[in-house]
Amino acid sequence: MPGIDECLLETMRLPGARGAALVDWTSGLALGTVGDPPGGDHETAAAEAAELARLAAEQHAFGPGEGADAGDPPVEDVILSNRDSYHVLRFVPTTFDSSVFLYLWLARADGNLALARIRLGEMAERLVLG
Amino acid sequence: MTVVGTTPPPRLPVRDRTTAHQRAGGGVSPMLTRLAEERATGVLDREHGTLHLVEGRVVHAESPLAPGLGMLLTLHGTLDAETWQDAEGSADEGRLLRHGVTPGALELAQASALYDAAYFALAPSSTPGRFRYGTAHWLASVHPVPVAALERETLRRRALLRRIWPDPATDAAPLIRADPVAAPAVPPRQAAVLARVDGVRRAADIARELGRPAFHTLVHLRRLAAAGLVSPQPPPAAEDHPPDDAAADPYVALLKRVRDALEAL
Repeated sequence: MPGIDECLLETMRLPGARGAALVDWTSGLALGTVGDPPGGDHETAAAEAAELARLAAEQHAFGPGEGADAGDPPVEDVILSNRDSYHVLRFVPTTFDSSVFLYLWLARADGNLALARIRLGEMAERLVLG
Repeated sequence: MTVVGTTPPPRLPVRDRTTAHQRAGGGVSPMLTRLAEERATGVLDREHGTLHLVEGRVVHAESPLAPGLGMLLTLHGTLDAETWQDAEGSADEGRLLRHGVTPGALELAQASALYDAAYFALAPSSTPGRFRYGTAHWLASVHPVPVAALERETLRRRALLRRIWPDPATDAAPLIRADPVAAPAVPPRQAAVLARVDGVRRAADIARELGRPAFHTLVHLRRLAAAGLVSPQPPPAAEDHPPDDAAADPYVALLKRVRDALEAL
């Protein structure tokens, strides 16, 4: 997979995908965006999703139990649902110091949450590992 | 009766902050806005960093205050230092890709380093910037960013830091640990920063040692300052005074921090 935009376009091929972004959760920066922005504005949506990702990544209680490899961050993904859509945040592990996640906004009527979760995990890995 | 029509007095000039902001192209650097408009290619040297432009878009940024792409990639073993030096020396992006850095990872790291260095390069400066027309930077094709987007992001970052903790002193001063009575739990990424606070290191030193974007380090330090765990080293002149008993009282320390925060608003 060549780069950020290609990865996001691939994400948009998931059934029900409305919009996608690659976001840095420390700064709130959207490194790339495609499709429609949740809430009407990609930058604001990215900053707000970053805040949610940060809370999830920093709380001790959400990490794996004793003995398991904690990882950086200790959380794999965050899933939020409302009446008409899902928001799926997938943390991207990198070999250098970073804090990014893939963010998918998925229509509830057409989307398949289980499939989206699996594919986002695959894409997060392929983005940095090739 | 004669009514004398008086003309209303002229309106007092009021600085309209929003329009002034827009006129100045986001208020970050009018020169950069002009260079974007004329689709310039070259290097803009500013007091705290350098921006490389190709056809009016920013393709690379460097700042002495932010770890560069090479440092980000080599410090955690993504790339060995020799390969980086070879690639940089020969200005060959392909060498990075042939040594295990995927295009996605390279773009991610380059974009991260670009916004990071640009934040410092675009900081308010006391000297005018200088632009040299020239050729494209060797990493120009990795992740070009429009000037307007970069300026908007830089302003957003300033606002983010202000929102976390309004006092900018931890951004540049040597830092000391302040151990409050009941210390809150520190998340792992902030703990790595806190562990390096020793009364000598500054934010930029900690970022370099961690191989972490410097702006991320500023964010972590502001959060640590807000939690009362880190404070800037007071200037040496303060040492001439006899030790202040009140400073040791955690309540007085807290009140002082609240006062400082209110003053900084």
